[in-house]
Amino acid sequence: MFRYESLEDCPLDEDDDAFQALGEEDEDIDQFNDDTFGAGAVDDDWQEAHERLAELEEKPVVAVEQAGNGSTDEMDLLGDHEENLAERLSKMVIDNELEDPAIMKAVQTRPVVQPGGLNSSIWDGPAVLRRIRGPLLAQEMPTVSVLEYALPQRPPQGPEEERDLSERALPRRSTSPVIGSPPVRAVPIGTPPKQMAVPSFNQQILCPKPVHVRAPMQQRYPAPYGERMSPNQLCGVANSSLLGHPFPPSVTPVLSPIQRAQLLGGAQPGRMSPSQFARLSGFVSSPLASMNPKLLQGRVAQMIPQAPGFRAFFGAPPPATPPPAQQHPSCPGPHLQNLRPPSQMFRPDTTHLHPQHRRLLHQRQQQNRNQHRGINGAAGDRGHRSNNQEQLRKDPYANLMLQREKDWVSKIQMMQLQSTDPYLDDFYYQNYFEKLEKLSAAEEIHGDGPKKERTKLITPQVAKLEHAYKPVQFEGSLGKLTVSSVNNPRKMIDAVVTSRSEDDETKEKQVRDKRRKTLVTIEKTYSLLLDVEDYERRYLLSLEEERQALIEERKQKISDMYDNLRGKLPGQERPSDDHFTQIMCIRKGKRMVARILPFLSKEQAADILMATARNLPFLIKKDAQDEVLPCLLNPFSLLLYHLPSMTVTSLLQQLMNLPQSAAAPAPANPHLTAVLQNKFGLSLLYLVLSRGEELQSSDSSTELMQDNQWTELMFMATRELLRIPQATLAKPVSTPANLTSLFSRYVDRQKLNLLETKLQLVQGIR
Amino acid sequence: MKDERNREKHLVLLRDGRTLIGYLRSIDQFANLVLHQTVERIHVGKKYGDIPRGIFVVRGENVVLLGEIDLEKESDTPLQQVSIEEILEEQRVEQQTKQEAEKLKVQALKERGLSIPRADTLDEY
Repeated sequence: MFRYESLEDCPLDEDDDAFQALGEEDEDIDQFNDDTFGAGAVDDDWQEAHERLAELEEKPVVAVEQAGNGSTDEMDLLGDHEENLAERLSKMVIDNELEDPAIMKAVQTRPVVQPGGLNSSIWDGPAVLRRIRGPLLAQEMPTVSVLEYALPQRPPQGPEEERDLSERALPRRSTSPVIGSPPVRAVPIGTPPKQMAVPSFNQQILCPKPVHVRAPMQQRYPAPYGERMSPNQLCGVANSSLLGHPFPPSVTPVLSPIQRAQLLGGAQPGRMSPSQFARLSGFVSSPLASMNPKLLQGRVAQMIPQAPGFRAFFGAPPPATPPPAQQHPSCPGPHLQNLRPPSQMFRPDTTHLHPQHRRLLHQRQQQNRNQHRGINGAAGDRGHRSNNQEQLRKDPYANLMLQREKDWVSKIQMMQLQSTDPYLDDFYYQNYFEKLEKLSAAEEIHGDGPKKERTKLITPQVAKLEHAYKPVQFEGSLGKLTVSSVNNPRKMIDAVVTSRSEDDETKEKQVRDKRRKTLVTIEKTYSLLLDVEDYERRYLLSLEEERQALIEERKQKISDMYDNLRGKLPGQERPSDDHFTQIMCIRKGKRMVARILPFLSKEQAADILMATARNLPFLIKKDAQDEVLPCLLNPFSLLLYHLPSMTVTSLLQQLMNLPQSAAAPAPANPHLTAVLQNKFGLSLLYLVLSRGEELQSSDSSTELMQDNQWTELMFMATRELLRIPQATLAKPVSTPANLTSLFSRYVDRQKLNLLETKLQLVQGIR
Repeated sequence: MKDERNREKHLVLLRDGRTLIGYLRSIDQFANLVLHQTVERIHVGKKYGDIPRGIFVVRGENVVLLGEIDLEKESDTPLQQVSIEEILEEQRVEQQTKQEAEKLKVQALKERGLSIPRADTLDEY
């Protein structure tokens, strides 16, 4: 039919004779004219194709023999041109699958092969459909498909025809990943398809392809299902070999124009026509067929999540529903009806599914089996069809989206839920549902009985394997494609980081840089923190051998965190709190410190606490806007209860910032004043005092008493507390109960009363 | 999406605040929608008005949410339907009052030396 006028360098060793015969038919076509052969020209194509192919119909059976794959049935069928071509094709297709026992079985149970089996997505009216079917099928018969032209081998004719048809389709409008693709073959989304599509036949590819690219047939068969398939093809695949039904012929061989266009248009470099999958899976030889069904089954099985909300999308729709497709009365209806019965033959590989999922899946299959048996027996076909028609009459635009397409979209959505590490990918969802479960479990204990099961979305659980992505390469081409994708990001710009010299910077810039560095430190430390917090869970999940390593890792990370907090100075004392205070100036830094504290050792944590106390006024000032410091109170208080008295004393001293030797009553101590006027400061002070009191009261001969310092500090503290006007006193988070007894040791009754009133130490005084 | 989708109306809320009601004909993985016999419904207070718009093809990124309309409950609403002109007028009035309030706020903040970046400028980033 169409000749590759401008692709003469096609080094294809196909059957030139057939090709020439076809080529002579039409030499005027501009094969690269998008308007003629591109997206906009479907209808015209078919018309022309029809005329040409109609001529071919007259060709003798000899030509047809080429199409045969050796099966006698086929030959007979093909030889009879007066029969409905589609029917013949269907039968031929069926016979191709004879090698697969499952399919064999299926074939025998199917009494009738409906003629004109159609892929359920029919975009044009019935007339076009019939017209398309006819000529195209005829076309396949006599000649080895021109598509073979591009192929080194000549695959069986059956699959060939299907592929042929698909080549003629418009460019695929979108590519979709295949959900639940078998792990071994799964290719990450975003991978450009590896194979070249076969050059189109009567609809030329939209862009000139390097014709020398070979898309070896072999390669197509085992092509991973991870490669993108358009919805129709996907469903075609699923339906075809999966069920081993004679159904596949009804599904695949005759494509709607759009599908064909899609497939053809998918003929871009490196891209495999998706419909080829559909064909291949349906019509491939036994080894493949046995492989495919398994894969497909697995996949299709995965497509069926059990959450009720998804019922509409997956698996077999309720049998009562007429198959969603715009059909005209004659052919497609029954075919689509036949779409449903497949579930009867469904033997999916569900081993990798979640057990609940699997159970529900089988349940559904049972249901469908029963239901469909009923339908098939009765005149349900006709009934449904007429019902459908009625619907169409009411609303001609109904069911524009076929069930298959809906399934496809849902599959994509489900695929997005696939995850090897749900805790990593979907942390909040997991946590939320854990909480809910705990709640309901708790309720259940108290409640009357098992509550109704929450409907949960069962997500496919597929092990993700790493795939080394190899970018598309063409044989014989010079150079490589410059294709950048998600899996193969390319460096666009060579950006070199140059650090500016210190001299040039102004003070402001330095300050800004310092702040930025602090921010970076906070981020890094936060990542470490998240990892450390996660170790417990990992520990539980890990094996024995790995646990030690985990522990080591965790320790290392904790130490790193501490270093980050305090500002790592190699082999030095840490003279300056500067680094720490910088971190503490930033809200996130404060929160982070609060989270880190539980992981640190006592000494390290005490160090942090000291540093905080030392710089408290500064921190208070910086915290004025955020008011986040109180978040530190909890970890601090926990820490305090583990600290020895020495530390507590020095801590108090830091808080009050009084010189070692108590001088005469100093003028207003700004440090302490600031502390007392701040919520956090006051609360911290109370905590320290409370702890001190605890230590004192628990063991009267503790160091606390022996060390004068504490006493002195207490005197000063009480003095300061008395001095400060009540109005400026902050409102602490909590007032420990033992402060009264603490103060009673150091002040006389009168002052004690004053203190009590002022600080509202006694309950009831407000 | 049911098989009898031809009889089900869907309500779509767009990012710019528009509410569309129509028959959902097609959807894809990006939530691009094809709506048929779409009606844009404008709500102001307790009133609403419908503007027939025909066929809508909505790009998925602009969809906030999409929901099915329960046809029985559809008629059971305290809202009052008014004519298009009226609802547009109401909307205009509402926009005006909002803008004025906003202006006052910005003015007040400016006097205090503060400024809140406008949402549309944020969008550019």
